[in-house]
Amino acid sequence: MGAVILSLLFPLLAIALRIAGDGDLARRLKSRDQSAMGEMYDRYGRLAFSLIVRIVRNEGIAEDLVQETFLRVWNRSASFDEEKGALAPWVLAVARNRAIDYVRSLEARQTRNSMELDKLERPGVCAVVDDAFLQVDRVRLLKTAFDKLPPNQRMVLELAYFEGMSQPEMAERMKQPLGTVKTWVRTALRSLREEIGEAVPA
Amino acid sequence: MNCDDLADVFELYALGVLEAEERGEIEAHLGRGCAACTPRLRRAAALNAAILAVVPDTAPPRGLRRRVVSLVGSGRSAWGWTFASGSVAAALLIALLWFSVRDRELESQLARERANLTRVQQAFAFLNEPETKQVIFGKGEPRGNVFVNPRTGVLLIASNLPPLPVGKTYELWVIPKGGAPKPAGLFQSDREGTAIYIQSGALDLAATGAVAVTVEPDAGSAQPTTTPIIVAPVAGF
Repeated sequence: MGAVILSLLFPLLAIALRIAGDGDLARRLKSRDQSAMGEMYDRYGRLAFSLIVRIVRNEGIAEDLVQETFLRVWNRSASFDEEKGALAPWVLAVARNRAIDYVRSLEARQTRNSMELDKLERPGVCAVVDDAFLQVDRVRLLKTAFDKLPPNQRMVLELAYFEGMSQPEMAERMKQPLGTVKTWVRTALRSLREEIGEAVPA
Repeated sequence: MNCDDLADVFELYALGVLEAEERGEIEAHLGRGCAACTPRLRRAAALNAAILAVVPDTAPPRGLRRRVVSLVGSGRSAWGWTFASGSVAAALLIALLWFSVRDRELESQLARERANLTRVQQAFAFLNEPETKQVIFGKGEPRGNVFVNPRTGVLLIASNLPPLPVGKTYELWVIPKGGAPKPAGLFQSDREGTAIYIQSGALDLAATGAVAVTVEPDAGSAQPTTTPIIVAPVAGF
């Protein structure tokens, strides 16, 4: 499972990381320029679709959730601060959260984090990423770092990012003590941070 | 926990997967405006975005772009949002509605059939009365039969009725000899222009000159306002 998510990586990046000029796009979104919706889709539609398919594993459902994602961004774009960053992280967060909410609703899982998901979709929280961050070489670094993680550490990250699990939920799923899971999570995140550390703007 | 411990899980915080206790701690800490932690949170959000961007590439279907753009088409944004915000729930709702509409359609169809059957049964009963007399009217269109019975009233069986304009209805009249027409009920035809209508009640055959039908406004009229489409003289009973 671990290496799978990082395979077939590069075709996406070429599309996903064309994020220069998001400021102008964001301004047009805010002024309800309908063509901005099309442009935003052209930039991030494929990425959002890929991410959602990765989470829900159903392309039909993913189509619905992509529409939901873009409408949500459109409707909330008024609160986006184009001076602070790119749209991509925000679109990604919204897409991920819609997909995870969907999977949870299927599993009738306690949505203990749903309020949090909603709150963290505020563009102010997500869109603090410098345009330059999501560049192909940076993400290539990340892929390499991810691949180097021990299986258990990759697993906990996948459960957090693509299944929306909290640490106690991971412990239950992996039948491991909570303390062990927490250690894996922290160690894994630290490794990734170190690998791409300088690439991330402070 | 100190700054470093908290910052260790900023990614989880930004993902929304932290338990309430740790989340509360982080929020309280950030709320105090920790200068060191703000950029760390920013980095965490960046790392999250990068990890989420690293998924297998799947091409969306061609039509998806059009659907996304049309969600904010002119004058449709509010509705589109309502639709899309629960697209999955909406799909279920649509399915549910479809079934219930179909149920309702079947139900109303059944009700219509039942009403038709009732009318036919009543017509048979009416015809079966020994005192029922037949009055034939019309050679062209519309045509049909009027039956009169001193005890049970008037039965009209008509076909080739002209289609009714919206807001109009057929009205039956009983016209006494030498008197003004009396309203005898409103009815509609079916899609084929046929109608079976019974105006129940005693009827003085000797005093009745004719039975007539006009087209009237929905609520009916006290006096005919249009030329009758059916006039069946009641004579010789």
